[in-house]
Amino acid sequence: MAEKAILYDPTRCTACRGCQAGCKQWNENDEFIPTVENGVDATNWGSYENPPDLAPNTWLKMEFREVEAGGRVRWLFTRRACMHCTDAGCVKVCPSGALYHHELGFVAYDKDICTGCGYCVDACPFNVPRTDRNLLTGVAKMDKCTLCTTPGLDRIAEGWLPACVKTCPPKALMYGNRDELLAEGKARVAALQAKGWVNANLYGENELDGLHVMYVLDDQPAVYGLPVAPQVSPTVVAWQDVIQPLGWALGGLTLIGLGLNYIVAREAKMAKELPPQKEEK
Amino acid sequence: MVQEVERYPKATRVLHWVHTGAFVALFVTGLILFVPPLGALAADSWSRIIHRVAAVLFIVAPLIYFPLNWKASVGGIKDAFTWGKDDIGWLKAAPRYYFLSDEAAMPPQDHMNTGQKMWWFMVLVFGVVFAISGLIMWFAKTTAPPELLQWMVLLHDVAFITTGCMLFVHIYLSVAHPMMRPLRTGAWNSMYRGKVSVDYARSHHGKWYEKIARGAEKS
Repeated sequence: MAEKAILYDPTRCTACRGCQAGCKQWNENDEFIPTVENGVDATNWGSYENPPDLAPNTWLKMEFREVEAGGRVRWLFTRRACMHCTDAGCVKVCPSGALYHHELGFVAYDKDICTGCGYCVDACPFNVPRTDRNLLTGVAKMDKCTLCTTPGLDRIAEGWLPACVKTCPPKALMYGNRDELLAEGKARVAALQAKGWVNANLYGENELDGLHVMYVLDDQPAVYGLPVAPQVSPTVVAWQDVIQPLGWALGGLTLIGLGLNYIVAREAKMAKELPPQKEEK
Repeated sequence: MVQEVERYPKATRVLHWVHTGAFVALFVTGLILFVPPLGALAADSWSRIIHRVAAVLFIVAPLIYFPLNWKASVGGIKDAFTWGKDDIGWLKAAPRYYFLSDEAAMPPQDHMNTGQKMWWFMVLVFGVVFAISGLIMWFAKTTAPPELLQWMVLLHDVAFITTGCMLFVHIYLSVAHPMMRPLRTGAWNSMYRGKVSVDYARSHHGKWYEKIARGAEKS
C-alpha cells in the first residue's frame, strides 16, 4: 500500500494550537485548565507555549521560538510529535512488539502489551515517547502520537484525516500519499528559495530512511529545534543487531553441546562399566 | 556407613539456594524480553515487578552472608582470582574427562575445580555487573542520560547471555552429566546435604582433601 504522511509547513502555521486541542480531544487526553479547585497550579514561565512539554497525555505540542536573524526577531513555530520514522529506534528496541510499523508506514502502538520498559524513550532520536512511571515498582506505560491509528480511535481506518490535520485552519498540516506530499513539499521549498530563503529545505525526506512527518523549513533544521542528522544510536544497533543474535547463537550452541556431551559421555561410561559383565557370560 | 566430609556449611547452602531461586526468577522474567511473542506476559509490567522483587533477594542475600561469614567469603573470593598450573592441566584434561570418563590426565583439584572456579568467577564479576547496571536502570531511569541507560541495558544483556548459558552448564554438570549419577555421590549431595563421601573428596578434590586430612590430624 502506498505510504501516507503528514506535511507540516511552519510558514503557513499561525500557532493557534488547534492541532494540539484536536489531538487531545480525539484521543481522550484530558487537560485541566488550572484552577485552585482541581489542584493544577498555573505558572508563568515566559512563553505562550502550553503545556510545557510532551507528556503521556500530550502527544502533540506546538513549540514557539524567538530567533534573531539579520537584526529582526522572528517568531518560529514547530510541531512536536512522533515523526513516524522508517528506521525507527523505538520499534527496534521494543521487546514486546507493542511498537510496530503500520502498513501505511507510521509507527503504530498497541498500548495493551506495553511492558513499560521505557527502552523506546531512550532510543528515540527526537525525544518523543513519554511514560508515567512509578520509580519504585517500575510500573509504567508509554504514550505517543499514533497518527490516529489507536485501536478503537482509528481515524485512518475510517478513511478520515488525522485529528490534527482535520483541525488545522490555515492548512499548515496536510495528510496524503507520501510521494505526493514529497513533491508538494519540494515545490514549496523551491518557491521559498526563489523568494530569497536560501536555506529553505524539506526536512524528513531522507532522515532515518524517511520520516512520515515532513517539514517545509525556511531555515536550517537547527533553527527550528530539529536534530540535524538524527540517527539510531550505535549502542542500540550493537545491542539489537549484534549482542542479541549472538546471545541466541550462544544459548543454542550451549544446549546442543550439552546434549552431545550427554550422548557421548553416557556411551563412554557404559563402555567402562559393561565389559566385566560381558566377560561373565 | 560411608565416611563423609563436610563440603558446604548450612549458611553457604542457604545462600546458594536463595540465590538460585532469585536468579531463575530473574532469568525467566528477563528472557521474556528476548522473545517478542512472549511480550504479552510482560504486559502491564507484571514480570518487571517480579524481576525487581527477585533482584532485591539477589543483591541482599550475599550482602547478609558476607559479613556473617567474613573469613569464608574473603577466602572464597581470593580463590576465584587465584589461578595456577593445575588449572591449565584441568583445562587440557577436561574434554577427555567429561566426554570419555578418562580421569588419567586430571591433576588433583582444590576445594573448587577449575570449571567450578570459572563459574564462581563469573558469578562474582557478572553479579556485580548485574547489580550496578540494574540499579541504574531501576532508580536512575528518569534522570540518567539515555546513552548511559542504553549502555546499562547492553551490559545487562551481555551478563545475562553469559551467565544464562553457564547456568545450564552448571545445572547439567552437577545433576545431569552421566558421571554425576547417582546423585547422592557428589555435587548434588554437597549442595543439598552439605557432605560428600571421603572417596568422592579424594578423587575429585584431591588437593582439598589433603588439606583437611592434614588439618584433622593436627587437631
